[in-house]
Amino acid sequence: MEFKDYYQVLGVEKTATPDEIKKAYRKLARKFHPDVSKEPDAELRMQEVNEAKAVLADPEKRLAYDQLARQYRSGQDFQPPPDWDAGFEFSGGGFEEADLGEFSDFFANLFGQGGRAGGRRGYQMRGEDRHAKVVIDLEDAYHGATRAITLQVPRLDAQGRVLSREHTLNVRIPKGVKAGQHIRLSGQGGPGMGGGPAGDLFLEIHFTPDPLYRVEGRDVHQRVPVTPWEAALGASIETPTPSGVVKVKVPAGSQSGRRLRLKGRGIPGPEPGDLYVELEVVLPPADTDRARELYETMAQELAFDPRQRRGARP
Amino acid sequence: MTQQRITSGELIDEATLTLEELARACSVEAEWVIERIERGLLADGSPYVASWRFTSHDLTRARRICQLERDFEAAPELAALATDLIEENQRLKERLRAAGLIEG
Repeated sequence: MEFKDYYQVLGVEKTATPDEIKKAYRKLARKFHPDVSKEPDAELRMQEVNEAKAVLADPEKRLAYDQLARQYRSGQDFQPPPDWDAGFEFSGGGFEEADLGEFSDFFANLFGQGGRAGGRRGYQMRGEDRHAKVVIDLEDAYHGATRAITLQVPRLDAQGRVLSREHTLNVRIPKGVKAGQHIRLSGQGGPGMGGGPAGDLFLEIHFTPDPLYRVEGRDVHQRVPVTPWEAALGASIETPTPSGVVKVKVPAGSQSGRRLRLKGRGIPGPEPGDLYVELEVVLPPADTDRARELYETMAQELAFDPRQRRGARP
Repeated sequence: MTQQRITSGELIDEATLTLEELARACSVEAEWVIERIERGLLADGSPYVASWRFTSHDLTRARRICQLERDFEAAPELAALATDLIEENQRLKERLRAAGLIEG
């Protein structure tokens, strides 16, 4: 385990006032806010920042941490000395289990005294609910899937220290799930205290971004390229969709942008979504003599001016 | 080969969350949720607390508001405003992505 320099994480001096720490935290919270940040590792950095703030913004924890920090450098191999925290009493009896799940081993070892402090007789508490994101392909929402989710689970060893352990769950992703929807796994959250029940685990579903599809609720939109003659004359075409290849009837006289609705071909569910196919007329390149000749024939023989209707101005 | 156990859960929306369940999932007290509903920051269709039920979208929204309030000591209205903008931004990004105007 490496020693973490929380001052470095927040980018403040060791002498920083509580106000400076708060300001530095807010600045970083804005920078790494997962909803807006463009940094690739925003979520991870935000966890670090939260962890550093949890220690440095709490006078008792900061004092205890400062005593330890005198002997260590950032990144140095670190084992907490026995009874390093003697003489300190952390308000609230350490940290909530939910925090521990999101914080580093380093933090959990120093401040994860929940088990020790929470040894009051007859005291029962339900475990915290936990949250995780799961990314699936759109096709998985059509057919259902199984995903392995790996979570860090804090647990107490015989000495009451908190260790973190990896726990892998194979989770069934039900058919018909929508982006942003949650799956609740009962009893898979934080462990309860004093024999209390475990919390729940909420998995938030996200779809892998796919340039072919746009999803709105259970409706799926996709663009399908067609030839000018298919659009003009009408045709029966085959196109790949998330539920497999389907035949689509292109009505004669279609233009680019025309939307065809395939009822019930969206994401399945109690009220299945629809699949909207947007036609995109693609012109063949005029890159051979023959192709140029055909375009010239059309130019001569078709009385067609697409700007006429708009009352084109010179 | 070892047989791996597969865990099944329930899909929120098919089973909606009660007030207590939503509060617990956000690590807040029920009063926190009630106050934000009364201020019109969190959606609910019914005027009767006992029949309040919450969807996946409500859960995401409540957690986001809660995080913004906590991280920036923001007023609930400001956190909800930022949340509205984030949601709108996500919808527009989704459309841009589908139109091939942005990647990822």
